[in-house]
Amino acid sequence: MSAVAEKADTKDQPVKQVKKPEASSAEGTKKLSGKELKELKKLEKAAKRAASKEASGITPEEQKQIAEQKKQKAKEAAAAAAAAAQAHATNTNLKKQLNQTLIKDKAAQKKIPALFSHLETREQRNASSPSISHIVHPEILTLTLKYSTYKIVGSMPRLTAMMKAFKIVIRDYETPANTTLTRNLTGHLSHQIEYLKSARPLSISMGNAIRWLKQEISVISIDTSDEMAKEILCEKINDFIREKIELSDQLIIQYASKHITEGSTILTFGHSQVLEELFKYCAREQGKKFNLIIVDSRPLFEGKKLLHNLIDTTIGDDTYGQVPITKDHIRVQYTLVYSLSSTILEDVDCIFVGAAAMLSNGRLYSRVGTGLIAMMAHSRNIPVLTCCESIKFSDKVQLDSVTTNELADSDDLAQDQDLKKPPQKKSFALEQFLKAKKEAASDETNNNNSTNTNKNKQQQQKQKQQQQQKDEENKADEEPDVPLKDWRTTPNLNILNIMYDLTPPEYINKVVTELGALPPSSVPVILREYKNT
Amino acid sequence: MSVTPEILSLVDPTVAQLKRRQIEGTKDIALSISQLLMRVISTARWTNPYDLIKIIRKVGTILISAQPKEVVVGNVVRRVLALIRDEIETEATSSSTTASASKDTPMMSSMFSLLSTNNNDSNSEIHHQSKKQSSDLRSIIIQGIRDLIDEISNVNEGIESMSVDLIHDNEILLTPTPSSSTVLQFLIKARAKRKFTVLVTENYPNDIARARKFVKTLAENKIETVLIPDSATFAVMSRVGKVIIGSNSVFANGGCLTNSGVANVVECAKEHKTPVFAVAGLYKLSPLYPFNREDLIEVGNSGKVLNYDDHKLIDNVEVITNPLYDYVPPEHIDIYLTNVGGFAPSFIYRIVLDNYKTEDTNLE
Repeated sequence: MSAVAEKADTKDQPVKQVKKPEASSAEGTKKLSGKELKELKKLEKAAKRAASKEASGITPEEQKQIAEQKKQKAKEAAAAAAAAAQAHATNTNLKKQLNQTLIKDKAAQKKIPALFSHLETREQRNASSPSISHIVHPEILTLTLKYSTYKIVGSMPRLTAMMKAFKIVIRDYETPANTTLTRNLTGHLSHQIEYLKSARPLSISMGNAIRWLKQEISVISIDTSDEMAKEILCEKINDFIREKIELSDQLIIQYASKHITEGSTILTFGHSQVLEELFKYCAREQGKKFNLIIVDSRPLFEGKKLLHNLIDTTIGDDTYGQVPITKDHIRVQYTLVYSLSSTILEDVDCIFVGAAAMLSNGRLYSRVGTGLIAMMAHSRNIPVLTCCESIKFSDKVQLDSVTTNELADSDDLAQDQDLKKPPQKKSFALEQFLKAKKEAASDETNNNNSTNTNKNKQQQQKQKQQQQQKDEENKADEEPDVPLKDWRTTPNLNILNIMYDLTPPEYINKVVTELGALPPSSVPVILREYKNT
Repeated sequence: MSVTPEILSLVDPTVAQLKRRQIEGTKDIALSISQLLMRVISTARWTNPYDLIKIIRKVGTILISAQPKEVVVGNVVRRVLALIRDEIETEATSSSTTASASKDTPMMSSMFSLLSTNNNDSNSEIHHQSKKQSSDLRSIIIQGIRDLIDEISNVNEGIESMSVDLIHDNEILLTPTPSSSTVLQFLIKARAKRKFTVLVTENYPNDIARARKFVKTLAENKIETVLIPDSATFAVMSRVGKVIIGSNSVFANGGCLTNSGVANVVECAKEHKTPVFAVAGLYKLSPLYPFNREDLIEVGNSGKVLNYDDHKLIDNVEVITNPLYDYVPPEHIDIYLTNVGGFAPSFIYRIVLDNYKTEDTNLE
């Protein structure tokens, strides 16, 4: 997040440099201290903000005036700067300072073990996106937020949500003058996708779907009217969701339900959309009674989500009342990964795991922990099945979990020692908004004292200090006793929170897809067939 | 012979402490048991050293029943018994100068004596010891226990010295037992000579607080430390050079009992052909065999697995268990590092024979 601020700072830099000589000329020979520099920066930001607000035409006139004043000031400053020698001593100093802070911040951010330092952190992702945020559709903004807070998690729910959002984006899209929809919409969508990536990297299925969508856009003839084209695209997306997700899942469930027999014991890991539907189907439609062991892991606790959803599913008729399927049909045992090796695996008949992607060398890319479970099942001769829609198939090859992976926020592991809830992350956008609000407020007070004497300045500083103290106190209140609170500043200490791991094909007995059940070695076959159609 | 009230009054506080689990950590338990036995020996009244053995065995059964799943208690009792028996033997050989002395101590493990009758019991009645001798014996035994206490409290030193030979520069190690102080000392000692990275699993939920303390201590000692969730062990195992585990107790077959979650990790290591070291003080070696594994594993508060606040989930879940220990089979461990050297798991039974007498394996 601080990376965003950095970016803004670097953008401000030239203007600030320009500003300096003006200020120094105003205050005589006295050189500027760090605090005064900061104030200048703030003024600059306020000016920018006011300018942008002015452009959107929301602001009251007061602010407009201030903004205009600022603009004038900036102009004057520019003139003064032109007069001043470019290689001013203080100028270079300022640059140096800025550079130093940049590096320092980066060092603090790059808290990843050397083994995984090639992977992109959340901060880096955030830093790469905000420059285009103004053309991002609000629907995509909300979706990004939901992704980053793990409100929507799992590759299928993510894919479905994305396609639905794209439908709205396309519906609201208007072709600018001098271009055609076929040419411009792809670019417009790319910007949305860029922004979406700032929350979490695209999953394989999302990548496949986007490729498909772009293909569909490109084949629309130039002669079709925009309205028609949008209609066609929305219809196609609807078909895609029906065909590739909903109907596929139904087929997979039908194939896979044969493996759940009356009285058998099934083990599953985390949460998978299609598996959840499978268990519900077996209990509700087929009336099977079976034991389900849900293995869960930190920090996301997706198994609890599965459990919740199963409990919310009821069975029975209205005369006798609705009963959750977990009461009569599914006997649930809930465990965490650590206790697997004890007696749990002894009477498991079959293991179902979800998938994020099926790679073309037969390896399964899935939530971290799947590999461990598949390995343990393999050594105990328990069959491992994975349910995977063909949209998740990828022609990528990968050999281990280290080279390609997704880094989640390490803070998720540093906190909530006693709370067994999924991490409640503060949303990025909300924080930005609050910050902006606060700054705006403080800037206003600054502006009121535009004819500031030294006394006023001192008072302001005092106020600021008080505010800072208050802020710190608030922070202390919010975070109770987190033992690894300061892990970022502790040298040699890292926390690794990866999202996925890779299960070798020899641990997987069967891959159930909508095209039938097959061994992992047949993944490239499906890919070839799929591409041909 | 029954235990006198004086001795019972000595034993009771420790029994209570064991029952309430007020003594934490195998090392502290071993130390307090050996100190208790020292007090018992100095207060107990006996003329025949075999009476003393009977008393200690009685006290031993009382202590073991206080916390039956803590193997170390029995280990210490057996070590002390072996000590007494050794003393009696040396006494016997030195006092009786006749040729029959060599016959008195038959080679139990030898094939030659398979058919000969064992006349140990008659032995005990032959040797009527004078008062002076018994007080001598008492002081010798107490000195022996003092040595045992020294050995237990300095257990890390012997293990630490091997660390440099086993770790190479820039190696990545993984430890799934963040509660083990022996592992901690081992790594810190190795850091003096080598530069390496340690991955530490969280062992959620039972050890997470200790894991956090552990990684902090390691980082403070300039060791590159990475905390990983338990589920990530398979993902990183291909990059790990060695796995180091601590143990609660080591059985005669070479298997060991450690923190829950370790069995996953070592199985994973086995699958990746990553060497596994187990560190264990000599006092953790037990002459018992893990015949029934379910009996060995203690279960803890299941509220840690699924919080009781989640009444909706609790209502609908049939079983939740929270095992506190894991049994690691000998084939998953490559080497045991003890304070008397490194041994393959298949050789542990020999070390056990050196330190315990077979007569004491069953105390009842």
